[in-house]
Amino acid sequence: MYESHSLQASHNSHETNGTYENYGTNVKTATELNDELLSSLAPPSRRWYLLVFLLGAVVAWGLAAFTWQVTHGMYVTGKNRPVMWALYITGFVFWVGLSHSGTMVSAILRLSQANWRRPILRAAEAMTVFSITVAGLFPLIHLGRNWIFYYLIPYPNQRGLWPNFRSALLWDVTAITSYIIGSSLFLYLGMLPDLALVRDRSQGWRRTLYTILAMGWRGTAREWVIYQKASTLMAALIIPVAVSVHSIVAWDFAVTVVPGWHSTIFPPYFVIGAILSGVAAVITLMIIIRKAFRLEEYLTPLHFDNMGKLLLVISLLWAYAYFVEVQTTWYAHEPIEWEVFSFMSGRYTPQLLIMLLGNALLPITAMCFKRLRRSIGMMLVVSLLVNVAMFIERFLIIVPSLSHKNMPFVWGSYHPSLVEVSVNLGALAGFALLYTLFAKLFPIVAISDVRELEERQAEVRLGRARLSSIAGKD
Amino acid sequence: METLGIFRDVESAGRAVEGLIREGFTEAQIDSLTSVPYPDGVLVRTERRTWFRWLALAGGLFGACAGFALAAGTAWLYPVQTGDKPIIALYPTAIICFEVAMLFAIIGAIAGMFLEMGLPALRKRPYDPAIAEGCIGICLTIHAGGEPVACRPGDTPGQCIGEIASLSAKEQKERAEKIMREAGVLRVIGEESP
Repeated sequence: MYESHSLQASHNSHETNGTYENYGTNVKTATELNDELLSSLAPPSRRWYLLVFLLGAVVAWGLAAFTWQVTHGMYVTGKNRPVMWALYITGFVFWVGLSHSGTMVSAILRLSQANWRRPILRAAEAMTVFSITVAGLFPLIHLGRNWIFYYLIPYPNQRGLWPNFRSALLWDVTAITSYIIGSSLFLYLGMLPDLALVRDRSQGWRRTLYTILAMGWRGTAREWVIYQKASTLMAALIIPVAVSVHSIVAWDFAVTVVPGWHSTIFPPYFVIGAILSGVAAVITLMIIIRKAFRLEEYLTPLHFDNMGKLLLVISLLWAYAYFVEVQTTWYAHEPIEWEVFSFMSGRYTPQLLIMLLGNALLPITAMCFKRLRRSIGMMLVVSLLVNVAMFIERFLIIVPSLSHKNMPFVWGSYHPSLVEVSVNLGALAGFALLYTLFAKLFPIVAISDVRELEERQAEVRLGRARLSSIAGKD
Repeated sequence: METLGIFRDVESAGRAVEGLIREGFTEAQIDSLTSVPYPDGVLVRTERRTWFRWLALAGGLFGACAGFALAAGTAWLYPVQTGDKPIIALYPTAIICFEVAMLFAIIGAIAGMFLEMGLPALRKRPYDPAIAEGCIGICLTIHAGGEPVACRPGDTPGQCIGEIASLSAKEQKERAEKIMREAGVLRVIGEESP
């Protein structure tokens, strides 16, 4: 069991000889920081169990719906000819996009050494791992004959069956596998010093777990040197993987000759959209974590302000990319392309308006104002709406294009079935459940990063001047 | 054999390190154990160069070959003839090569990091949970004594093992503990030689 400490010997308060003190910077002792940041690992309350039960029930409902689909066949979904990709692939693209930003934001902020990144790193990295895990399930759910999922990967083909090793879908398998493993290792790497810390404060099975995961970390000077270099290298390696994963998902669409999909802007447009939804999801999670674990002192309005600025920039980029795509289609007026766009804007007008409002109008206008960026309530509304809008955007990319392909005699329509909606809700609950369990089992804030910042904020008196005790870089 | 002194703060730990170096121990024998990273030289000086990145590079190269074998090799071994399209499709092969290369580069980086750190530790080493609470550990590796090693002219303290090396390990340990006590150590944790 995890226990809170007030170790007498421990401290960090620099009250020694008067040359190294804290002058009104409110720097906390190491034990205080540990106690506060590890409060999330305290024994769960009844509310936590209730939440886990509710999420588990929704997951079970989703699993039941999937079982129904497996036993009765794909006709229980709303998919039809020509709309073969529908809500499941919408979910896949959405969750891949969501996974994008966690690791990417974390990696970019690590490389740029932005100090405000520290309290949000873990939440973002964990989000990536769980959302890409959920994303990886959707192609399997979508398959139809799920029991032969291994056709997705190359395997010896002596029997002369039909796996097509040149299929574009093989990209997805390798890309998602690489990203799941890469982002999990990135998360684990960031947690290594914190695992050693909780190891030292735990008992029972938790101590055994953390001891195994901490691998004997002691925090020697050499370990820190190697660890910091490894963190930088991993950040540099994971960014191209993150970009490639969503580019590959975009190529699934762009390399086809389906009107509305066959566009060179799709990969960057998908990547921008993915970062937009990911940044918004990180903000949502920050708000929930802040409230649930009383981390108001660590996830301050400054963090939301900076994330708001990031959201503003990405939202502007998304709006630009969308405008470029639509205006090119409109100006060229190529009949089938324009037909798909007209169909989408006519048949799905409310969805289109919500998409534009949530992805562009609201974030761009609201995030221009510092007061709104620092308002937690406003940030929650904006971040939630961005992700609702982004799910709709994925739907509007997939369904209208398939409904109105090149040949009018195969035009069709699509309505999602209860089974598809249930599976999607189950996936959402599964993500939330994984995150809830993770937050109870592992430190949800990067403690060593936060404590390093606190250490750097301590001041030294030199003559009349007060200087940072440790400079920003080694 | 390692001796670990636990200090309340950076200043007393720093004084202990200076004292140990003055006594004749080398920088290489002294290590710090902290729960947050300190810049080089605040407590000890340590080797900044690392080699684990080469393992990441090797992993990447291996991964590229593995990706090529996976995509192109399988297609070549079990050809699926479709019209006049090539058996090995370059575009998917290139993408798969890239993904698998990056995957193995990441795995190589992590594996190399642990290898270079010497983790997981196979033997029990001196440690104190107080380090997690902000205390500073100064760990001194004491070599087997009885080797008279003279410093060369021009060597500065910390660069060579002084006459202290001629003392027995027990005597070295006693001297080190005395210096640590003078610097304000909270407690000393020893590790006996195997």
